[in-house]
Amino acid sequence: MVTTRLRRLLAPLMLSALLLFSTGCATLSPPENPSAQFEQVQGETSGRKAPDAVAKDAVKGGKFNTFFPRTVAGYDGYDVVPAQEKQGFAQFKVNEGGGNVAVLSINDTISNPAAATKYESSSRQIQGYPALTIGSKGTGVLVADRFQVKVQSRADSFTEDDRDAWLQKFDLKGLSKLAE
Amino acid sequence: MSKKAIFEVVDGLPTKGLTVMSLKALDFAVPGQWNNVVGFTNTIKDVTGETDEALIQEIGERAVTLYNDKSEGYQKALWLYQTVDAGSSALGTGMLANKATENISFLGLINKLTPKPEKAQSFDLTVKLVVELVAFCQINGIPGDSIGDFLAAVKDYGGESLMRMAALVAYDGLVPLGPSYAEKGLDALKGTSGSDLDNNKTFRSVRELIPGNNDKGKLTFVTESFESVKDWMVGFTEEKGLTQDKVVTNLSKAVDLSKNKLEYLGAFMDVATNYYEHTGAQTLARRLIERAAAEV
Repeated sequence: MVTTRLRRLLAPLMLSALLLFSTGCATLSPPENPSAQFEQVQGETSGRKAPDAVAKDAVKGGKFNTFFPRTVAGYDGYDVVPAQEKQGFAQFKVNEGGGNVAVLSINDTISNPAAATKYESSSRQIQGYPALTIGSKGTGVLVADRFQVKVQSRADSFTEDDRDAWLQKFDLKGLSKLAE
Repeated sequence: MSKKAIFEVVDGLPTKGLTVMSLKALDFAVPGQWNNVVGFTNTIKDVTGETDEALIQEIGERAVTLYNDKSEGYQKALWLYQTVDAGSSALGTGMLANKATENISFLGLINKLTPKPEKAQSFDLTVKLVVELVAFCQINGIPGDSIGDFLAAVKDYGGESLMRMAALVAYDGLVPLGPSYAEKGLDALKGTSGSDLDNNKTFRSVRELIPGNNDKGKLTFVTESFESVKDWMVGFTEEKGLTQDKVVTNLSKAVDLSKNKLEYLGAFMDVATNYYEHTGAQTLARRLIERAAAEV
């Protein structure tokens, strides 16, 4: 009983002491929202009138599977494992020794055209299609102005040259026919 | 379904407390697999290895957009992970008014708990495993023979997903049911009817998303799913050296509890931790970010 009362009496005192000592400091300001940078897109993409994230006529992810390389010469012991398959998207993991070293993906940019327009700045080609370095870990190719094929490194051992080597082994010509 | 933005969910994941401690206590079984990465932009950086702010923004925006589209399944997956955790712990929530801080005394709590009947505990285990399968398909899509695809994917589980499976085996299998937990789970399912299953709180909480036209069909799905991953679970338990004793010893070191009230420990884990929801949100965020990073 006594301790409870004491605590009650002390609490406001402690609080005012805290206020006194911390005046001018940032400690009492509300914590900053760490992801405030995404509030705008949250407002635009939630609620009843929100646009679809994936276009209705995007190619089904399962149709992309056949164009992925399952083995690449010179990469013995690398496993290609299916990871995701959604409307307009398919992804495989490349594992080595049980660890993930890279991811391979194809997506239909009909759902997010900005992904395709960035290839206008491409200055080189892979299998005759515009290629681009994306960030510090990714390389992409745009096929038939529509399908983005990407290889992203997930381990430092998988270099830009490795990404190019794997992109060379996708069946990009076959993929381009899906746009016809 | 969850109304929070995905970045709020991931930013809100705790870095300490009983859930985190109880998962860290399993590091001996899956060493180095789980580092409890929390925070939305942190997760983007951790998954992709990218540091360029503009690219991180682009990836984050695509991830938020994909998550917000209900038809993409991510919201359902999060709901499943949250609901199956809440459903299994419903028996003790009343006494856990201060659960938000997870600052509760083990002994204070354990005296108020009743261990769950073995059958209810067995159902919980099987339903949680099936939720993993359904949530996996909501997140990753993989159509066709879902159970077969799931099995292939289970072999490739890593990071927080592998930790979730270790915790399922440890805290919903070994601790409450003992070494033959998988058999007990299957026996409970085989000796039951659809309506029995419907009396189980955990099942009831997620039944609407379990495939099957009626309770009987859903029971068949649960049974077949559990049967098909049972061997994997048993193999995993053996391979990782998971035993009831090791789990309890490591847990008691981590959360300062005595080993002599074992029968209550399962109930305690149920009410005091949200390990399914916690690691489930992490898995969902990582797969979502994987997709967004590929699509931008």
